[in-house]
Amino acid sequence: MQAASMGGNQAGQRDSGGEVIVEARNLSKIYRDFWGRSKKVALKPLDLEIRRGEIFGLLGPNGSGKTTTMKLLLGLIFPTSGEALVFGREATDVTKNDRIGYLPEETYLYKFLDAEETLDFYGRLFDMPPEERKRRADALIAMVGLGRDKKRQLKEYSKGMTRRIGIAQALINDPELVLLDEPTSGLDPIGTREMKDLIIDLKSRGKTVIMSSHLLADVEDVCDRIAVLHQGELKELGRVEDLLRVTDVTQIRTTGLPEAAHAEIRELIRRHGGENIEIGNPTTTLEDLFLEVVRDTEARPGRRARGGEGTRRG
Amino acid sequence: MVLEEEIPKFANWIGPALVSYLFATGMLAVVVAAAAWLVQSVLCGPLTAGDRVYRGVLSGIADLASMSPRRTWALARLAIQESLRRNVVVVLGLFALIVVFAGWFLDPTSVNPGRLYLGFILSATNMLVCLVVLILSVFSLPADIKAKAIQTVTTKPVRTGEIVLGRMLGFATVGTVLLALMGLVGWAFVVRSVRHGHAIAPADMVEITADDGAVTGSEGRTNFDRGHRHRVEIAADGTGRTDTVQGHRHSIRTVGEPGGVRYEVGPPEGLLEARKPLRGTLRFLDREGRPSTKGISVGAEWSYRQYIEGGTLASAIWTFGGISEEDFPAGLPLEMIVRVFRTYKGDIEKGIAGSVRVRNPSSGLQSDPFYFTAKEFTIDSLLLPRTLAATTADGGTRQVDLFRDIVSDGRVEVVLQCLEPAQYFGIAQADFYLRQGDGSFAANYAKSCLGIWFSMLLMTALGVMFSTFLAGPVALLATLSVVLVGQFREFIRGLFESQVSGDSTIVPGGGPIESLYRIVTQASITVDLDPSPAVSAMKTLDTFLLAPMRLGAGVFPSLSSLGTGDFLAGGFDIPVDLLLAHGSETLGYLLAFFIVGAFCLRAREVAA
Repeated sequence: MQAASMGGNQAGQRDSGGEVIVEARNLSKIYRDFWGRSKKVALKPLDLEIRRGEIFGLLGPNGSGKTTTMKLLLGLIFPTSGEALVFGREATDVTKNDRIGYLPEETYLYKFLDAEETLDFYGRLFDMPPEERKRRADALIAMVGLGRDKKRQLKEYSKGMTRRIGIAQALINDPELVLLDEPTSGLDPIGTREMKDLIIDLKSRGKTVIMSSHLLADVEDVCDRIAVLHQGELKELGRVEDLLRVTDVTQIRTTGLPEAAHAEIRELIRRHGGENIEIGNPTTTLEDLFLEVVRDTEARPGRRARGGEGTRRG
Repeated sequence: MVLEEEIPKFANWIGPALVSYLFATGMLAVVVAAAAWLVQSVLCGPLTAGDRVYRGVLSGIADLASMSPRRTWALARLAIQESLRRNVVVVLGLFALIVVFAGWFLDPTSVNPGRLYLGFILSATNMLVCLVVLILSVFSLPADIKAKAIQTVTTKPVRTGEIVLGRMLGFATVGTVLLALMGLVGWAFVVRSVRHGHAIAPADMVEITADDGAVTGSEGRTNFDRGHRHRVEIAADGTGRTDTVQGHRHSIRTVGEPGGVRYEVGPPEGLLEARKPLRGTLRFLDREGRPSTKGISVGAEWSYRQYIEGGTLASAIWTFGGISEEDFPAGLPLEMIVRVFRTYKGDIEKGIAGSVRVRNPSSGLQSDPFYFTAKEFTIDSLLLPRTLAATTADGGTRQVDLFRDIVSDGRVEVVLQCLEPAQYFGIAQADFYLRQGDGSFAANYAKSCLGIWFSMLLMTALGVMFSTFLAGPVALLATLSVVLVGQFREFIRGLFESQVSGDSTIVPGGGPIESLYRIVTQASITVDLDPSPAVSAMKTLDTFLLAPMRLGAGVFPSLSSLGTGDFLAGGFDIPVDLLLAHGSETLGYLLAFFIVGAFCLRAREVAA
């Protein structure tokens, strides 16, 4: 998936710190049974503001209220109390959808359509003229790498391919606000990385992204701010680096340091009253290792695995 | 053909009907809004409920007003694609199979094969088309909601009205295409099935000679084919025609020279026709010749036809208006459907004799009678010529001109009498008419298909409307229930009328409580209950119960009343006023179903 430019670069020049485009005020949702009795408290009163140009993550385990929050913001379900405002309008106001793109948790598309028909259909729902639909559909199909499969019905697609056409339909209208529910669900590591690159690219073009995930690494990699939900309640809200920073630990990363210097550093720490926790070589992530192997294999076909422990350099 | 009520002119009723429709729709909207407020009041208090209902209604109206044709058509296209993916065209194969079986099993020797074939084809087409669109429409939206595909649609700037209308349009388009194809196949099947000819062997013909020995023509019979044969009369000029058997006749042309003569028999005439009748109004004279509002009831439960007694002064008199010499230059082509009620069997093969006279409604001058023999299940034809014989006051006979002496201000009376004592003629107002001409049978067939189309549209709209708030199988049942109740619409209306007027002959048996009482006590519905305070209370309560039932029944569409197959099969041109009435009724229902569906879907949490 290439992070192709989809237009709207002017949006990227806007102030990313100012305008609040999504707002939840005392927003709650209780699912009730036929008789109106409370069945499940899906979301306890939530106050939230999301500003233009940021990538906002809704983080939490399954059943924590992430998807409910998304659905409330999209107007797919109605709040029990409070209100959700998107672009200053009520979430149930369909006119806001002109500026929104949504990728559901599972890609709920019409399986009897092919990729082109799918994008054409969703383009029509935005009242787009035929030429524009065609242009955008072609660009998006190329962007998500489905050019060779665009004539196949979606029922023949793998989960990853379905996810790709799902993200394409979410971007058909070049939205200002993109809501992605578990965007990396069902994607392989390459697809996951491409999805994350795409999200970052969307931000660079001034889009606002709200994504929900229970995959912590995904959220950490791309989100500016996160809200941690648990059992329908907001537990943490803030910038990722602020939330993750361990203020009473100092980390020094360096290269080319001989082994003999380690003792001096330990001595220096001890002299300043610090407690030495660890000195050693850092490890990369499994994701980075995997991606490097794949890229290496593609660059040099036929190369065999080394079969032993390797040592990597930073 | 049965025509219980006169078909009013479209222009005469559409204005007041539109006002009534708008009033009824407004009232219904108020009732629904009040109900919504009540439900919301229980959940969140009266003030919040009022605010929610008010805002819901306003935004709903704004949504309806901002619907986009492109989005609507996109959703309609999706519905069409979905139908095709569900292999809806298989139904055409099924229809072809039905046609093949019909060709094998329908009896071409029946009394009127044209009516039989047409009735069958129209019924099969109606049933299949309506069934297909019903299944498509009730399961589509619930399937989308269940598969959550609706979430990717409703998160686009799509109005709920567009989702509902798009589906209605899409499935209606599928139904229309199916109907058009089935209609064409059905048309070809009927025309091919009734087409036949006969052979006439010269040996079966004998010459007719006048007293002076001159040959004036020939007569004889055709061969036996499709369960019937015809008697033939050929004039001296070599042209002739057969008698009417199984609802049709043939024209005949003689070719070749004497000694090597050959007869060419034309295709059947009268089976696939579209008569354009000019109908009049009917009144009666009783057995003493006194005016009467009704004829005699011979005990038939269905009071459509009234009877006149034979061998008495009892008469049925039709008054026809708007008659001009330009329209009927050759005279008045009278066609009659006369039912016979026999109090003794007599010669069952022989019809009952009757007479028809034409009379000036102003001066009372009448022609001498034209005699005919009434046969069951056939339309008798009688041309009342320009020059008529009339008996003068002194008992003599003089010639009168139809238009100069009989027709007065474009009006003429036709008087029917039964001539055989103790036998009766049964007639209804629509049974006597002047044949103004013939329309195209093909156009009439298309008009009849239009009736099926209206039913199909209603079925689609009902199915989609129910599917906006019910699961597929429940929506299917709800739609079928509405259609079923619609079939009893007239009965419930009559029941209410009977209850209010106290005339138990309109619909006997009373309302729900009286009916229950009669069931428990095994009291016949034709017997009035003995008056008592309890019976009065029961009837009063029934009236109150029947009022909402009547109103409710009026809301349900009667699909069968939209059918015009009787006209087609009976060989009558379907009046444009009737089609306009059916079209207006359909449009009224469609609009209501669409708005109800749009609001129901709007009020629903599609992702809950």
